[in-house]
Amino acid sequence: MLLDIFDPKAPPKPIGIDLGTTHSVLAYVRDERPLAVTTCDGGPLLPSVVHYGEHGQVIVGRSAVSHLETEPERTLASVKRFMGRGWGDPQLARLGTYRFVEPRTDEEAKVVRFDLGGESRTPIEVSAEILRSLVQSASEQLRAVGGAVITVPAYFDDAQRQATRDAARIAGLEVLRLINEPTAAALAYGLESRREGTFAIYDLGGGTFDITLLRLEDGVFQVKSTGGDSALGGDDMDRALAERMLAAMGFDEPRNAPKPVIALVLSAARDAKHRLTDAESAQLTLPKRGGGDVPFTISRADFDTLIAPLLERTGKAARRALRDAQLQASELDGVILVGGATRVPYVRRYVAELFGRPPLADIDPDLVVAYGAALQADQLSHDRGDTLLLDVLPLSLGVETMGGAVDRILPRNTTIPVGAKATFTTYADNQTGFELHIVQGERELARDCRSLAHFTLKGIPPLPAGQARLEVSFHVDENSLLRVHARELSTGVEQSVEVKPSYGLTDEQVEEMLIDALDHGEDDFERRRLAEARVEASRLLLATDKALAADGDLLDASERQAVPEHADRLRRALAEDSADIGALASRVQALSQTLDAATHAWAGRRMDRAFHAALAGRDVSQVAGSVEHARGVEAHLAEHQKDAT
Amino acid sequence: MAHPFEILGLAPSFALDPSVLEQRQRELNRALHPDRHAGKSPGERRQALSRAMDINLAYRTLRDPASRAEALFELLGAGSTRESTISDPVLLMEMMEQREALEEARRADDRTQLDAIGRSMAEREQVVLGRLSEAFAPLLTGSPSPAAALREAQLARARQLLAELRYVRRFAEEIAAFEDD
Repeated sequence: MLLDIFDPKAPPKPIGIDLGTTHSVLAYVRDERPLAVTTCDGGPLLPSVVHYGEHGQVIVGRSAVSHLETEPERTLASVKRFMGRGWGDPQLARLGTYRFVEPRTDEEAKVVRFDLGGESRTPIEVSAEILRSLVQSASEQLRAVGGAVITVPAYFDDAQRQATRDAARIAGLEVLRLINEPTAAALAYGLESRREGTFAIYDLGGGTFDITLLRLEDGVFQVKSTGGDSALGGDDMDRALAERMLAAMGFDEPRNAPKPVIALVLSAARDAKHRLTDAESAQLTLPKRGGGDVPFTISRADFDTLIAPLLERTGKAARRALRDAQLQASELDGVILVGGATRVPYVRRYVAELFGRPPLADIDPDLVVAYGAALQADQLSHDRGDTLLLDVLPLSLGVETMGGAVDRILPRNTTIPVGAKATFTTYADNQTGFELHIVQGERELARDCRSLAHFTLKGIPPLPAGQARLEVSFHVDENSLLRVHARELSTGVEQSVEVKPSYGLTDEQVEEMLIDALDHGEDDFERRRLAEARVEASRLLLATDKALAADGDLLDASERQAVPEHADRLRRALAEDSADIGALASRVQALSQTLDAATHAWAGRRMDRAFHAALAGRDVSQVAGSVEHARGVEAHLAEHQKDAT
Repeated sequence: MAHPFEILGLAPSFALDPSVLEQRQRELNRALHPDRHAGKSPGERRQALSRAMDINLAYRTLRDPASRAEALFELLGAGSTRESTISDPVLLMEMMEQREALEEARRADDRTQLDAIGRSMAEREQVVLGRLSEAFAPLLTGSPSPAAALREAQLARARQLLAELRYVRRFAEEIAAFEDD
C-alpha cells in the first residue's frame, strides 16, 4: 500500500462530490488521475442513508442502512428526491417509509420536513450530514480539504440546486461549482481518453434520469441539450417490484401497509433487482399478511415488462433532447452509461436500440460522476486547465403574463452564463406597482411550471395603461443561478432581486443551521468569517499583482496611483491581529471591496484585450473582413437615411 | 448594446455556417468565460461573466434562423417583424391544406402520414432558408446602395419569407410535440 507522506504545508486538496440518491462518493485528483476516497464504510460508496438515534447520535452510511428496517421513522434514505421540494409536492405521496411534519404556516410549507418523532429535519440538513461524513473521511486521508465541486442532476431546477448549495454550506464546504452529473461523467471519459466528437450520456441513477448530448472539441465540452426527469430512477424499479410483492403478501393497498413492512419489502425488491442482473430469475419467501409465508418468483422477463414503462419515459426524453440539439442518433460518436441502474441488462439493451449502437461503460458507472467532479475541481482551483465546460440551462425561464400564460425569456438549452431582457407594460391606468412572477418549466401556463419567485416593482408614476415600459433582465451565471432585475424605463425606478426560490430556506435559516452545526456557535462563525475574508483578500491581492505585471499599461493616471495604494492598505490589514474578530473580518472585507471597485474599469479594458486576442488568435483575415463589412453596413445605413430625407 | 454579429466578431449575413458560428462561440468563451478567470479579482470575474453572457446570448440569437433574421432587420434599421403575417394567397391556401392533412393524420393516428408531412415541412424549411439567404444578400453588401424603392421591395420580400419560415417551424414543432405523446 502506498502511504502519503504528511506534508503540513500541503495545499488544501480540491474535491469532487457525487451526492447521489442511493449513495455518495468523494473523489480527488492525484497525479492527474481521479481517485475515490475510502468512506467510513470501507469502500468508495457511502450509502446516502442517515439514522438519527434517540440520544442525538447521527449515523451515516451502511450502519444507518441496518436501521432502515428496525427504525424506519428515524432513518432517512433517498432524501435527494425531496431536495427543493415543498409540502404538497407529488413526491410526498409515493410509496415510502417517510413521515412528514405538517406545516402550520406558508413559510413552513416551503421546505419538506421529515418527522423523526419529536424532532424534525429538512432534506437539506440530512444531505449536509452525508456531506459531512464524506468530508470527514477525506480529511483523514488528505489532511486538508479544499473547495468542492458537487454534482446535481442536469434536470434539477433552480430550487433544487439552491437546496444543494445550502446543504454544502451547512456542512462547511466551500462550493467551487455545482456541475451536472452527465457533464461530469463526460468530463471523466473525455479527459481519460482525449476523444473528440458528439456523445450522448444516459444517466439513470437511483432517483433521477438525465440525458445529455454533448460535443467535445478543442478541449471545450459544449452541452448541446439536456433533458430528463428529476423523479425517475432505479428506486422506481424497486417500488414497482415492491408493490407487486406487497400484493402477493395480501396487501391490496400497498401504500397502506405498515412502514416496517414497506421498508422490508423495498429492500427485498432491491436485492431481487440486483440478482436479476446475472440470474434469469429470483426466488424469495415473503411473510404473508396475518401469518405464514408466501413464495415469490420473478423472472427477468417479468421484471423487464415491469420496468418497460419507466424506460419508455427515458426514451421520450432522449428523443426530445436529440431534436433540441438538432441531431440524429446516427450522428453520435458514442453513448456513455452512468448510474447504478444502467447495470440492469434490459436498460443496456434498451439504450443500444434507442441509439443504434452499444453503449460505453468502461468507467465504473457508480464512480464516473465523482471522478468528473474531482477533475473539474482540480481545474477550477489551479486556474490552469485547458478544458472548459459550457453547460446549458436545463429548463426555460420566464415571467407570468396576464391571463396566467408564460412569456419565455430564456428557453431551455441556452448556453450559460447568459443574460437576456424583455419589455412589458402596464395593463391598468395609473398602475403604480408591477408584480413579477418568475417561473421555470416548459408548460404553457404559469401554474403548471415551477414557481421560483415573486417580486413587486413599486413606485411607478401613475400613467395610462400601456404607457409604462418595464424592462426585465434575467442573468444566469456560470453556476446556473438566476438573478432578475426590473427597471421602469421612463422613470428609471429599478429593483434587483437575487432569486431565492419560493421553495427553499432563507439566508437566515441557513446561517442558523450553520451556527448550530459548529461546535462553539457564534464564536466559531466569526472566526470562520475572518478566515474566509483573509483567503478572499489574499486571492484578490495575488490577482491584482499579476494583473499589474501583465496589463499595467492599461491603467489610467488616477488608477496607477489608486490601485497600489488600496492594495497596500489591504495588505497591512491582513497582517493585523485583533481581539475583536468580527470587526477585523468586516474591515478586511470592506478594504477588499474598495480595491475591487478601484480595479473595475481597468478589468473591463483587460477583457477587451482578451476579446481581441481571441479573435486574432485564429483567423485574422476573417476579422478584418468583418470589420470592413460592418463599416460597409454603416455607410449603407447613412446613405439610406440620406435617401429617406 | 452591440448587435450579435459585432459581439461575436462576425460579418452580418444570413447564410451563416453553423460550424463557424459554433467555433467562434467556443473561442470567445475560451478567452472570456469566468472559469478562465477563476483566480482573478472579483471585478475581473464579473467583467468576464458579463462578456460571456453577451456572447452566449448572441450565439443563441444567431443560431436560430428566425431570430438571426430578426437581428438582421434590426441591424438594417428595418424594425421588428414579429407581427408580420403571410399575405400570399397561394401560400395561404397551401398552408391550410397542409394543416387539414395534419389534423386528419392526427385524428387517425397515422404515423406514416405524420412522418411524410414532417419530412415535407423539413424540406420546405430548407427551401425557405435558401431564399432568405438570397433575399438578405443584396441588403447586406456595402455597395452600391440600391435605390430606396428597391431596398423596400427587398426588405418586404425578406419579411414575407421570415413569416413563412416561422409558420413552417411552428408546424414542425406541432408534429414533434405529437410524436412525443
